[in-house]
Amino acid sequence: MPPIKSIFHDELIATAAAMSVPGKGLLAADESTGTIGKRLAGIGVENSESSRQALRELLFTTPGFEKRCAGVILYEETLFQTCVDGTPFVELLVSKNILPGIKVDKGVVAIPGCEDRGETTTAGLDGLEERCATYYQKGARFAKWRGVLTVGKNGKGPSERCLALNCDALANYAAICQKNGLVPIVEPEILTDGDHDIAVSQAVTTVVLQRVFESLNKAGVLLEGMVLKPNMVTSGVDCLKKADAATVAKLTVETLRRTVPPAVPGILFLSGGQTEDEATSHLNLMNKNSPLTNPWTLSFSYGRALQATVLKTWGGKSENVQAAQAALFERADANGKASLGEL
Amino acid sequence: QGRVCHFSRRFSRSTVGFSTHSRPRIAPRLVPGAFAKTRSLRSATPNFHVHETSVTMASASSLASIQAPPVALRASALARARAAARARAPIVPRAAASAPPMSGIGACHAGAFLSETEKAHLVTIAAMIGTPGKGITACDEGPGTIGDRFEAVGVVNTEENRRAYRQVLFESEGANEFLSAAILDPETLYQKSSTNGELFPKVLMARGIVPGVKPHLKIFALPGQNGATVMQGLDSLAVRCAEYKAAGCEFAKWRSPLEIDVANGQPSDLTIETNMRDLARYALICQSQGLVPIVEPDIALKGTHDLETAVRVNVKVQSELFHQMNLHGVYMEGAVLKSNMVNPGKDCPVSYTVEEIAEANLQVFRRCFPTAMTTANFLSGGQSLEDASARLDAINKRKGRKDPWNLSFSWSAAVQMPLFQLCKGKDGLQLEAIGALYVAELAIASAAALGTHTRKGTEGDHKGRGGLFGGKK
Repeated sequence: MPPIKSIFHDELIATAAAMSVPGKGLLAADESTGTIGKRLAGIGVENSESSRQALRELLFTTPGFEKRCAGVILYEETLFQTCVDGTPFVELLVSKNILPGIKVDKGVVAIPGCEDRGETTTAGLDGLEERCATYYQKGARFAKWRGVLTVGKNGKGPSERCLALNCDALANYAAICQKNGLVPIVEPEILTDGDHDIAVSQAVTTVVLQRVFESLNKAGVLLEGMVLKPNMVTSGVDCLKKADAATVAKLTVETLRRTVPPAVPGILFLSGGQTEDEATSHLNLMNKNSPLTNPWTLSFSYGRALQATVLKTWGGKSENVQAAQAALFERADANGKASLGEL
Repeated sequence: QGRVCHFSRRFSRSTVGFSTHSRPRIAPRLVPGAFAKTRSLRSATPNFHVHETSVTMASASSLASIQAPPVALRASALARARAAARARAPIVPRAAASAPPMSGIGACHAGAFLSETEKAHLVTIAAMIGTPGKGITACDEGPGTIGDRFEAVGVVNTEENRRAYRQVLFESEGANEFLSAAILDPETLYQKSSTNGELFPKVLMARGIVPGVKPHLKIFALPGQNGATVMQGLDSLAVRCAEYKAAGCEFAKWRSPLEIDVANGQPSDLTIETNMRDLARYALICQSQGLVPIVEPDIALKGTHDLETAVRVNVKVQSELFHQMNLHGVYMEGAVLKSNMVNPGKDCPVSYTVEEIAEANLQVFRRCFPTAMTTANFLSGGQSLEDASARLDAINKRKGRKDPWNLSFSWSAAVQMPLFQLCKGKDGLQLEAIGALYVAELAIASAAALGTHTRKGTEGDHKGRGGLFGGKK
């Protein structure tokens, strides 16, 4: 299908371009209540609405954050929360020229018949259109949906069923978002679980990405008005011969050049299980070492890779807020420079 | 309608097991343009092909001019050359069994069965083909098609004339400044230059022009698709590629023609998928034999569709092609695209400027052309040299960060039709005049490939006739 003519056509393109400015990236602060609970437990903080609010206020009020942050992905609760002084988070972000975004998927569900493979699809299409309209009214300008795939047994890749369900869901989600004025972040994450080497990750990533774009094309998604959030091509977490950072960078860019059309304005990586330093270093090498000019921005959409040190530094204590904010800025600044290959 | 077989006039009627009548199996609506029909004469050597070319002709008068075919003679010349080549060095196509074992996923392996050296070689050749400011001279018309062009201007279609003409296209002084590659017909691979007695592939390489070949392909109508076609030629392709490689070729080209016929729903999903899948498999086979594949999805100019429709169809067709190529495991960095320019239909009533046309071309590529492929060399497809150059130039002037590919030319008719005109009313091929005009034309094409050409007037614009009477130009 040719791109569906959304009434938000020009706005989508402008928003997607703003999300893809080199030197900036996205903060993924869209942990669901359950997930953020785990993170808070890790630093000995109870999982209450006020502690969740305190953490996010810490992040959004970080001085200078807007220099490196083009947008923040929020969880639904956070979209409707305010600062302690009553200012809605959305208003605060917009005043700093940071785009508010919203996670719209409802998590993964098992695929009947593929349970033993651990394969899932993502739920959340029901009622999505109405939710998008509400979120747009509230001030969100982009959305995120995460599909999860694995390299499969013996590196054979995801099953056809898993591929079809996840890519169709991503494409449907993207089309619905664009119709309602939200730029869709398309996130097909291939988990690093396993002992496979990097070549397997590359082949599986290629299969998945080319299927994603096949589905997006068929659904009439406007590529100029979306953003891709893929995994990097890395060795499996339990791989004995881990590839070095330069190889990760090289093979990731190679894979993207084979599968991602230039019309997509930005490729903003997820960090997965990478450490903060790894995530920054990989991004930097991609932008530094690229012998050819890449037609899309290569930048970050990091959650843990931006917040790990922040959380530890904060520990839930208000006297640590400044130090925690400094830690956030340090990471954001490093990643911003990495997106320019300047480290 | 009839099918006419073209022959040299030197030979009188003889019937060496050959019939002048149509083969009923070929569908009535044949796609105009060059194609060759192959027929096995001897089952003992299944790779032996008789090359008889046929073309649809509407006029009844042409039927009257059928003469006896010296097919046997032409065929044996090529067959002798091929046999001689094979005798010099036994040709063994790379067998699948000798490839390193591949585990895991069977798709999207990007040439994992190739060694690093083999991949590097493909990249080197692709880079040579995609040299900025240079382009491809497409000289791959079969003896029949080139024969039509000769005879239309009163030149006799002999093997020597074909050889001498091609020699001019390869050796004209200054041509290699503007040429990165040349696509040859298999016959030409085994012909020699009269300058130094060397075989043409060697002559070309020595001049920095990469030699390649269009393998013999046969078109047929896909039943139930309103005359839409599929190009056949995968059978025995690996063996033939190995022969071409041994003869000095470094690339091959395969053209899959398609037509936009909105009323009849063409190109349909099936038409597109079938053609693009074959193109992808051809590409994979080429690479397995050390040849860079040029993939040519050719959507014809014919039609009344507007530019928006052309963009939509081009994105659909090319997306399918690149998906199939990735799926098949084609090593994208070692492949080259030769696509049509995106244009409104020839008889589209709406007018478009050359800038609008250029933007449409870049938009299509941005939506589906992987940047792992480094060059696209447009075919001319019935555009005049002036229009094609103006459009290529506008595309290159507009190129930006989103368009990292080399965008150049691979032209046959646009460059060569004016050359034939030089022979009209004269005695035989006017080789010197041809050479001079040819190089002058190539200079224009090269400037267009660099975005430094200046068009005259409204060259490159599409002038629609508008309203009820949008007619033929």
